[in-house]
Amino acid sequence: MQDTIAALDHIRRTVPEIRDELGIDPIPVRAIRDPEIYEIEKEQLFKKVWLKVATAWELPNPGDYKVKELPVADASILIVRGKDGKIRAHHNVCTHRGNKVVPNKGFETYGRARANVVTCRFHGWVFGTDGPLKSVPMEEAFGHLDKSCLGLREIACDEWEGFVFINFDPNPAQSLKDYLGDFATLFGGYPYHESTTAFRYSTVLKCNWKVAHYAFSEGYHVPTIHAGSLPGFRGIEHSDFKLIGPHASSTIYGAGMEAAPSTQVFAGVLHASDAHKPHAEQLPVHINPTRRDDFQFELPNVFPNLLIHLASGCGYPGLSYFTHQFWPLDHGTTLWEGINYFRPARNAAEYAAQVHVNALHRNAWLEDTATMEDTFTGIMSGAIDDMQLMDQEFLIRHAARTLDSYLAGGTQ
Amino acid sequence: MTTADYSRLPEGFADLETLAQIWARPTENARNVVRYAATASDFAAFHETLFPRLGALLAYLGDCPAQPETAEQRNALMLACAYAEAAPHHELYGGSSEVPFSFDAHRFVADHGDVSV
Repeated sequence: MQDTIAALDHIRRTVPEIRDELGIDPIPVRAIRDPEIYEIEKEQLFKKVWLKVATAWELPNPGDYKVKELPVADASILIVRGKDGKIRAHHNVCTHRGNKVVPNKGFETYGRARANVVTCRFHGWVFGTDGPLKSVPMEEAFGHLDKSCLGLREIACDEWEGFVFINFDPNPAQSLKDYLGDFATLFGGYPYHESTTAFRYSTVLKCNWKVAHYAFSEGYHVPTIHAGSLPGFRGIEHSDFKLIGPHASSTIYGAGMEAAPSTQVFAGVLHASDAHKPHAEQLPVHINPTRRDDFQFELPNVFPNLLIHLASGCGYPGLSYFTHQFWPLDHGTTLWEGINYFRPARNAAEYAAQVHVNALHRNAWLEDTATMEDTFTGIMSGAIDDMQLMDQEFLIRHAARTLDSYLAGGTQ
Repeated sequence: MTTADYSRLPEGFADLETLAQIWARPTENARNVVRYAATASDFAAFHETLFPRLGALLAYLGDCPAQPETAEQRNALMLACAYAEAAPHHELYGGSSEVPFSFDAHRFVADHGDVSV
């Protein structure tokens, strides 16, 4: 185990090392404030890098699909598990005249393709879930139609640990494996697929996507913002800093909150269950490597817009992990998605206890999101030109620097 | 339109049936409607009556499948879920139906919000 831990020594940083490497100067807010930068982000970032768009367990059976609207790439995408079991992504665009093949409702729409085909409702063109154009009504009336060239337009798609990523670049500069790099090692091996009970919330925020992203990227705010939902949160320690190419991570340790009487009872149900009790031993060896018993969760930024907080039941009772994702809708509008993942309840008491923990965490998210529109208004006012960042906000500093490198046309 | 009767609880929980009629609802969205409209005294009454019985209620539910098979089981789970979501308002938020200093909860969309227990 020690050899394995040592293998990732190159990503670990002390606070002085973080300061040396990333600096301590204020970070300009121009990338948040300037609408022109958002246009560059769309082309240089969101259409170039790997983006998580689904999980494999959302699409368990052949024919299961998900339509996801991604205004940041001017795209509607169809993510579907084919008859061969493979998950693919295509533009949700009929090659006849451009209509959406699968109509959507809202930002995400789920369904199942019967007989492993999808049919455009405009003129009835039929596509296989693996992409090819299968049939065209009145095909002879087109004179000539080379169906072999008219399949759904494929988007690069790959999986890591059941998380489905896409890349809009027709020729991605890196494979998903190379893009994730040591992050995949750091977070690999946890049984994410077992935590299929998901409580997903979303909201549209009137702020730039980075304001929302950065608000969830540090633990400095916890004692202040969460004084209501995490009363008496004691001894928070934000440490174990790691830099991983475009990604970065850190660990939240702490004695936890003063649990209310009802929380103690509900937590007791989960902690008494083998399925839901804290499972520090299931954490990848590089996370909380000394197995401290005050570990709360690991907080990484998977560049550019995903956070995976891995807890393994050690933080909020029974909570396996939770994710945040931040999708720009335009320069000043963001779709935030927060998902709490639990292992399936084995009985009704466990389910009720999960509902309690989920409610506590949802309420904490309500406290988090309270700041974002005000922060954006403040930045847009021109009153400040820089963010002042302390050590625990290094994920923000690192993400801002990485963004700058992409905007300049490079990568991390 | 009549309100469904969710008050019928398993044997031994008749003392909670009035609370169940007020609070028990099958979905998170439906429970939110009740929670948003509740007063500090509503939350206090819910907590003061149910908390002493929470252990017994969860012990009963521990023998029920996660997806209940009978109306009594289902009503009991709905009541437990309603308390799970309402308790913080009494214990942490001073009886407010809102989370203090927070984002407008009505703007949060729950994907699972209309899924019944």
